[in-house]
Amino acid sequence: MKRLTAILGYAAAVLTIVVAVVGPLFWFGVFSRAAAKTSLRIDPMYTGGEPARTIVHDGYQMVVYKPVPKRAPLSQTASFVQVVWKPASALPPAISEPVDLDGDGQPDCVVSFQASRGLDAKLRVSVEPLTTLVQPMNGVGKDSFSSLIARANDTIVVRVPLR
Amino acid sequence: MPDRDRSIALVAPRGIGRSLLLTVPMALFTLLLFTPVLRQPGRPTKLAALIAWAFMIALFFLMMRTRETYRWRRIFFITLGFLFPVGFIWDLVAVRSSMSIPIERMLSGDTPFCFMVLPMTLIPAALTRTIIFPGSILPTPSNPHSIAVMVALWLLATVILGKAWCSYGCFFGGLDEGFSSVAKKARLHKLNPKWRLAPWAILVAIVLLSAATYEPIYCMWLCPFKTVTEFPEVRSVQTALQFGIFIALFLALVVVLPFLTKKRTQCAFFCPFGAFQSIFSRTSIFDIRIDKEKCGAGCVLCQNNCPTLAIDQSSIQAGKTLSSCTRCGTCVDVCRKHAAVWHIKGTPVGVTPERARLLYLYAAWVFASIFGGSIIANSLQKLIGLIV
Repeated sequence: MKRLTAILGYAAAVLTIVVAVVGPLFWFGVFSRAAAKTSLRIDPMYTGGEPARTIVHDGYQMVVYKPVPKRAPLSQTASFVQVVWKPASALPPAISEPVDLDGDGQPDCVVSFQASRGLDAKLRVSVEPLTTLVQPMNGVGKDSFSSLIARANDTIVVRVPLR
Repeated sequence: MPDRDRSIALVAPRGIGRSLLLTVPMALFTLLLFTPVLRQPGRPTKLAALIAWAFMIALFFLMMRTRETYRWRRIFFITLGFLFPVGFIWDLVAVRSSMSIPIERMLSGDTPFCFMVLPMTLIPAALTRTIIFPGSILPTPSNPHSIAVMVALWLLATVILGKAWCSYGCFFGGLDEGFSSVAKKARLHKLNPKWRLAPWAILVAIVLLSAATYEPIYCMWLCPFKTVTEFPEVRSVQTALQFGIFIALFLALVVVLPFLTKKRTQCAFFCPFGAFQSIFSRTSIFDIRIDKEKCGAGCVLCQNNCPTLAIDQSSIQAGKTLSSCTRCGTCVDVCRKHAAVWHIKGTPVGVTPERARLLYLYAAWVFASIFGGSIIANSLQKLIGLIV
């Protein structure tokens, strides 16, 4: 029995070396392909969730996302809706646009910001609520994940906090 | 507490020919892995890869020649620990002119995934199938260090090294070990062994708090290594407070306490990922055993020299190290009676310890050369680029 366990022990040790030598050659590709097949995704607090509808304007689009509820009981991030304007380079100098956040056909708020500023300039957004669904924002920059305006790639992302 | 007292005189060095013979397979295989980098254009890249490869092979040869592990591994590990921030910060400054992560990059999923986050993501991933980290699942051109790649790396490291990740892979541990090696003598001797439980308490706390907040709490509030990598952009009182905590913890746990105690205090008393990795300590086929009969009355050199306090009287009596043992090899190297030995599970203790050490080192050093060697090469390239 002792001899058998010793043989198994040495076999496992040699196998560990084989894994160390061969593993890096293919393991990352295999694991990434397997990960792609799972339903795992990045938390919507970071991604903004899934797009709900797109409103096409002359030369640019506004994409309204599905509401992201508060993620956990102690989360600092409130419920929000992400709205994306793209491409940022084609936007008019000033945006002041009524936005229907819940898809009921009626605007819930008016979002206003200056889009014409340079890439390094700080963006500020104001949100005037038209319904009780929305919390107001006045000259907000990057306060939190649930109330912000930010330039990401060639888009301008606004997150409107919900009550 | 005595200073590190080696038993070099008791261990005859291996002949140069045999040492070279044992080094050749490692040299050839790692050269094969470094070949793509050596073929890349640019003299600094080629030179850096060549230096990193030669450095790793020279250390492996010295491990073979002297039959010592700790001294040579420590040189690699400290080099890794101090060079990693150089390359990392260099890349950050080149891309975004700052070490801080702007919120825009978080929204774009461009934050490199850090293995430290792993335990905190488990409960939210199980409950909602979402990862509470602003990275990307699969690698992208703007974020090659995706969650899938880093988790694959962690799994590979865990199979090969187990808890030895903390001595052969973790670039943060290299900084801790570096500062613990500065002073000749420890100035602070009395360390309550109960502090060894602190990483477990922190692990449980951050896992539960992350599940309650859906935010990676350790990364947001406690990680000392944010000081030398990247941190959230300071844009409010809260983020300023977070940044202050990162610096305070780094200075206390990674610089001052290791200097005073000659122990890896961050690793031993704080790191929740180290505690998480201890769970896999027993799954590794390699371990370290203590022969009670050879040990006799017990000089406690191993206990006093262990940088992570992974040996105490009870573990000596049990003939093994604690689960926090990082397989750094210091206890084996300092033991004058050869009572502390490398061991392969299932084999008799102390019969062929050098064979066990060789098999362990082949596995561990291949990983160290691929992972750590490439980090060293990347950072060296930046530094050589300044000169050439």
